[in-house]
Amino acid sequence: MFARLLFESFRRQTRRKLFALLAIALGMSISTAMIAVATDVGDKMNAELRAQSGNLVLTPVDDSLDVEIGGVNLKPASSGAYIRESDLPKIKDIFWRNNIKGYAPFLSEQQNVALPDRSVKAELIGAYFAQPVKYGDETFVTGVRSVNQFWKVDGEWPADDSSDALAGSSLARNTGLHKGDTVEIGGRKLKITGILSTGGTEDQAIVAPLHLVQQILGKPDQVSKAAVSAMTKQEDAFARRDPDTMSAEVRERWYCSPYANSIAFQIHQALPNVRVDQIRQVEQNQGKVLSRISGLMLLLTLAALLASALAVSAVMASTIIERRQEVGLMKSLGAGNGAVATLFLTEAGVLALGGALVGFAAGAFMAHRIGQSVFGSSITVHPVILAIVIISALMVAFAGSTGAIRKAMRFDPAVVLRGDA
Amino acid sequence: MSRRALFLRLLVKAAWIRKDRTLTALLSILVVATIATVALTVYSDLEVRLSREFSSFGANVVLTRKQGSISTDELHKIDAVVAHQGEIVPVAYAIASLPDHSRVVVGGADLEKLKKLNSWWSIESSSSGTTLVGARVAEKISPGSPFTISFADDQQNVLQFKAVSVFRSGSEDDSRIYIDLPQFTARTGIQPNTAFIRIDGRPQEIEKKVAELAASLPGAEVKPVRQVTAAQTAVLGKTRAVVLVASVIVIVLIVLCMVASLSSAVLERRKDFAVMKALGASDRTVNVIFASEAAMVSAVGALAGFILGTGIAWWIGKANFGAAITPRLELLPAVLVGSIMLALIAATAPLKALRRIQPAGILRGE
Repeated sequence: MFARLLFESFRRQTRRKLFALLAIALGMSISTAMIAVATDVGDKMNAELRAQSGNLVLTPVDDSLDVEIGGVNLKPASSGAYIRESDLPKIKDIFWRNNIKGYAPFLSEQQNVALPDRSVKAELIGAYFAQPVKYGDETFVTGVRSVNQFWKVDGEWPADDSSDALAGSSLARNTGLHKGDTVEIGGRKLKITGILSTGGTEDQAIVAPLHLVQQILGKPDQVSKAAVSAMTKQEDAFARRDPDTMSAEVRERWYCSPYANSIAFQIHQALPNVRVDQIRQVEQNQGKVLSRISGLMLLLTLAALLASALAVSAVMASTIIERRQEVGLMKSLGAGNGAVATLFLTEAGVLALGGALVGFAAGAFMAHRIGQSVFGSSITVHPVILAIVIISALMVAFAGSTGAIRKAMRFDPAVVLRGDA
Repeated sequence: MSRRALFLRLLVKAAWIRKDRTLTALLSILVVATIATVALTVYSDLEVRLSREFSSFGANVVLTRKQGSISTDELHKIDAVVAHQGEIVPVAYAIASLPDHSRVVVGGADLEKLKKLNSWWSIESSSSGTTLVGARVAEKISPGSPFTISFADDQQNVLQFKAVSVFRSGSEDDSRIYIDLPQFTARTGIQPNTAFIRIDGRPQEIEKKVAELAASLPGAEVKPVRQVTAAQTAVLGKTRAVVLVASVIVIVLIVLCMVASLSSAVLERRKDFAVMKALGASDRTVNVIFASEAAMVSAVGALAGFILGTGIAWWIGKANFGAAITPRLELLPAVLVGSIMLALIAATAPLKALRRIQPAGILRGE
């Protein structure tokens, strides 16, 4: 009898039921999309910042100090140690290898650059642009184009196996170098395919493919510096502790957290003759910005959840108020308050469940689209959100219904049926 | 009873007798107006709020004199452009020798200002010394004990340090020593030729000031620090976009939900509609009555929603950014008009459908 009542109620009041379902689905899709975006926005922004510049820099352990003023390297060419280029793929062998987004090695030296009309002294920098690197069975593409996205090129990026090069913007301005010109360094002719602007020392240099520069300088397999881009966890008090003073168990936990300094420690383990420094400027400050953004999204989500909860419970209440006559009829036929409430609440529960499922699907789709349009990568919708959405849909639907049912039952059935209430 | 009085009576009584229905409608509009106000207020203040967080990233512009040093006159010009919206630290550089004859870059600057600008430097201040020694330099010396540096290979021009602070930056500054500017100038006779500048503000404002600096100081090279400015631009742009898209979706969905709920409430009043028609009211009169009721309720709801929304936005600013987000009164007309339009559409659209049915049919319960 109960099942039949329930079934008939859905069959005969399709419009009303669909409307309630739609309202719940709308509310729950807001919840799904907002929760998904808010929980993922921190990671997305982190990746956004990470893409702009590397956060770890590798230099040889026994390197002499940098002697650089105003972007001009004054370090004597003879002094200085090197890292072996062929060792670098080992970075991809550390515990947190999946957090290593890429690396970019550099080799630089002051050289005479023969321009079409004269000769100047300038820094020659060798770098990966988008070099395919093989490690084990895995091939990945890395270089400044992915690690240092703040490098801007007016023109074409050179290919890594070509003899093309980029001219720094200050150098180009001071010497009148243009795209398409050819310069000669160490007996090799380099074609300038673009003008590079970084705001750093590279603005006064010629940047060419690493392997070409190694040949010109006669330093095969050698690099003087490498930038690494790693996804890291925000530094906290635990991260700042000295690993040497930790107990084995605590140290294990530290080692297995993707802090910048534990990743630096692991890289140093893989490449013992390399010192790893954090580029602190972005690393230290991004946390505050990221937490502000996540906080903001969470608060906005809270506001949206509250609003959708109010909206859904208002709709539930109004659909029940409309059905006062039904309540009156049931009561005059001898149904107790409990029976009526059970029927209405079961209906609400069925609607909430259906609405939550539809809303979750729609919300996940919206979150996906937001991720694609804003960040160019999809936002992951955690399955836990489905549980949250179902529970909140049930709670909101019951909360909206209960008050209305109680009110509907307070009326005298006879009055309601006459249509006076 | 005059027409006007009857009209007013109809409006007030309809709202009063069915308090629950009126309240539900009021609540609906209130929710829409609140969430719209919160989203718009937060969105319009977002850039300024978040830009402030980027001041801790340190210098975002580096100004270098191509030849010679920065004159006092030029410093005043920089001051005028920055206009207290940031920090200016002039720095002079020279090369000196460490005890082991390796070369090191020594910088002269106002150390307090330098530390404030580079708040992200991790400074191990083991001793009370004011001299700042980069971490890589510190490895070459033993920071605990006194050491000397000599300028320009002149064994007479030496400077002895007893107590120093060691800092770690992860940049080329780790290979440098910073000392107080007057002391530096006294030793080397070199005046600052570089200025690290932090300009506070939104990305466009920073860009504008960089252009102004370049125009007013033709003898200098003005370069934005790409790492910082690019990070700021990217993060601000993405955040604005995500807040905007999310807000639009939330507002549209809530509006849909509310319009549906409001119009179903009007449909429930089809008997009122039929009675009015049966008593001889024209379509227009009925429309006006229903529309005025909706407008009255929604105006109250929108006003309350605006106040509530402004309060929530204020609280979000307080809780998240530590500074209240100022109310935007210019949003009030938009929220008010939007809510009333919404309510009018929700109230009058169902009437069109009802008009096709005979009043007698509705009253009979068809």
